[in-house]
Amino acid sequence: MTTDVVKPKPGLSVAVLLAGLSIGFFVVVALATGETAQLSGQGVTGLLQRMVALGLVAIGQTFVILVGSIDLSVAALISAVAVLASHIMQGDAAMMLPAVLLCLGLCIAVGFVNGALVAYGGINPLIATLGTGLVIQGVLAASFGALQGSVAREFQVVAYGGVLGVPYSLLLLASLSIAAGLVLDRTLFGARIYAVGGNPDGARLAGIRTERVILFAHMVASLFAGAAGLYLAARLQSGTPWIGRDGIYDLESIAVTVIGGTILAGGKGGVAGTLAGVLLFASLDAGFNMLGIDAFLKQVLRGAIVIAAVAVHAVRARGHVA
Amino acid sequence: MTAVPSLSMTGISKAFPGVRALDGVDFECLPGEVHAICGENGAGKSTLMKILGGSYRPDAGTIHLAGKTVQFTHPRQAAEAGIATIHQELSLLPHRTVADNIFMGREIARHGILDKAAMRERAAALLDRIGAQIDPQALVSSLSIALQQLVEIAKALLLDARILVMDEPTAALDERDSRTLLNLVDGLRGEGVSIVYISHRMPEVTAIADRITILKDGQKIWTRPRDAAPISEIVRAMVGRDLKDFYPSPPASAPGEVLVAITGGTNSGLQDITFDVRAGEIVGVAGLEDSGKGALAQALVGDVPFTGGTVALRGRSIDLRTPRQATAAGIGYLPGDRKREGLALRQSVRDNALLTLRSMTGIFTRPQRGALASAVIDERLRAMDVRAANFGQEIGTLSGGNQQKAIIVRWLAQASDILVFVEPTRGIDIAAKAAIYDTMRRFADAGRGIVVISSDMPELIGIADRVLVMHQGRLSGAVPRGASEEDIMHLALGLAEARHEESGA
Repeated sequence: MTTDVVKPKPGLSVAVLLAGLSIGFFVVVALATGETAQLSGQGVTGLLQRMVALGLVAIGQTFVILVGSIDLSVAALISAVAVLASHIMQGDAAMMLPAVLLCLGLCIAVGFVNGALVAYGGINPLIATLGTGLVIQGVLAASFGALQGSVAREFQVVAYGGVLGVPYSLLLLASLSIAAGLVLDRTLFGARIYAVGGNPDGARLAGIRTERVILFAHMVASLFAGAAGLYLAARLQSGTPWIGRDGIYDLESIAVTVIGGTILAGGKGGVAGTLAGVLLFASLDAGFNMLGIDAFLKQVLRGAIVIAAVAVHAVRARGHVA
Repeated sequence: MTAVPSLSMTGISKAFPGVRALDGVDFECLPGEVHAICGENGAGKSTLMKILGGSYRPDAGTIHLAGKTVQFTHPRQAAEAGIATIHQELSLLPHRTVADNIFMGREIARHGILDKAAMRERAAALLDRIGAQIDPQALVSSLSIALQQLVEIAKALLLDARILVMDEPTAALDERDSRTLLNLVDGLRGEGVSIVYISHRMPEVTAIADRITILKDGQKIWTRPRDAAPISEIVRAMVGRDLKDFYPSPPASAPGEVLVAITGGTNSGLQDITFDVRAGEIVGVAGLEDSGKGALAQALVGDVPFTGGTVALRGRSIDLRTPRQATAAGIGYLPGDRKREGLALRQSVRDNALLTLRSMTGIFTRPQRGALASAVIDERLRAMDVRAANFGQEIGTLSGGNQQKAIIVRWLAQASDILVFVEPTRGIDIAAKAAIYDTMRRFADAGRGIVVISSDMPELIGIADRVLVMHQGRLSGAVPRGASEEDIMHLALGLAEARHEESGA
């Protein structure tokens, strides 16, 4: 992302390595199966577009994991946002802005509840966010009958429109990624996230209001999940209460974050690695499709790759210590 | 007193459920003064400093800084008032750079955007001021404990602290690094900083302190200028006993047969280690921080095994590739970092004492049979004088001394022949220290052997029958009982390679 940094950035090298591997895999599979069309500008754009939804969620997930927490409610929140957005718009372009604002407001509220439960309530984040997720999912399933609707045609531009051949959705992912990366690397908020995740007691003694940092990190995670929800609503035209769950965005966002070198204990990692993890998943998907691999086997292979990637990190970490 | 004290605490009291941690304690520190606080663990030193640092609020009493009354509710307020605390346990971020750590919580930023270049520069200047040769861009995890301690100090100096609290700052340091640190403290005193210095190491206290205050059971015993406080007086005030019956007397008889013999032991951190341990013997191992003495302990217990050389137990060659093999061979390990390597803190005293026994026995053994029965292990714990309300209590609630005794019971229950102690009394108060030394001596006198690895030289000289000295992964020599600290230091610094008095087969 940046080149003016002199210090060794372990996160970046992991990212570069992963991205290289992913691209290599994609290219080799495309050539081997004769699907060279996949290597054209359009094919590559397609590949990158597969990254958008998971990428957005995973960036948010990176924030909470870095701060030493985790968010399992993102999948339910994605569904809620998609449903809410289509319900408010009812196909009316004039309602786009209110719908987006309301959805983001919902995300802030959910993030606030998650963060408050974890930071001030002292509830284990796995349990707290699992709980909020279940609540959201339940409310959604119960009231979906009353929440029908579809997004405005103009809103679908987010998913299908573009400028100079670059889809808006990719630009959205790219700009939010860069922003998130800069926040983590260059701002006070970022430094505090690393401090709180790396050593909560030390951070507190250094005078950091650790609870507040955790709270904000959760709000960021929820907002990114909301962005993913809006994107999915635009792509699918109308939200259903299951799009988040069906996409396994909760677990996959955690998986790609960890694959990207962010450690679950917090305090180490970053957005670049996470995006590389997302790219890996996207190229695996695309590659498996080209190879015509059956959906169940695909799941198995993905699982194996997640384990392998984390194992590589474990070995690297051990080598570093010794 | 002519000068206004930069810090004065009066009538400080603090109670925790069931404990009166502090009872009307007065304490003051002048500008440019090093004021040491001594006391056993649980005497209230750390509580007093946590009140000063804003982590706890006192039940009664007032704090004045340069004459002004202050009240802290968050560590941040204490920090802003110019009080910096260097904590006993390091509070650094291992995966971040030195500069990031120094500025943790106080980053230089404009409108929320970090000014990394400015932070690098300030960090370099601070490290330079304390004479530390550390790259501000280095990752903290790549630094030794001693260097990390220096980063902590740089962090404190960043505040331009007028009052610096150092809680056992040399606990993790070896002799040479401790001296560097004391020089640093001396320099800060010259700059007019008030330094509150907490330490268990008496020579350090008398070398550096202008005044000394003794706490015992939450009360102040006395405050005296250094000249009026010889070590013997300090120790007596702390524990009510004299220093001379601190270490057990040496054994009456000469050591017996060879229990374990290491020949040419080598691995990535060790070279050509050859020595033996005889029955009835306490063998000390001294060395500076990176001398490999820690690696030796790890090799002896199979944690990071030797890759070359042989180990013989009572003349029979054995493998020591895993801790399990070492345990089976009768070698027990009492780690320096008890919390991390020694204890399951949330489990009971009894469970902790039974840990090894349970690990080594068959998986279908009935839990209350024979030596595994609660009554049997309780008896052993009582015999060791482990003090707990009951042995079902979580071990984390016990003092360091009692925890250490429980670990000793663990290995006695396993009938180990050889115990490897690492820093056996780190963070343990003086009274409990004496009890642990006593136990070690009795263990050896019963025809078994001890290897004790320690950075505390008076301890090694006091307890060990001979002291092996390490330098750069090798044994640079050995000294018999009665040797002086200077003799050991000479070998530890690698100045006397030729002076081998004995080094085993």
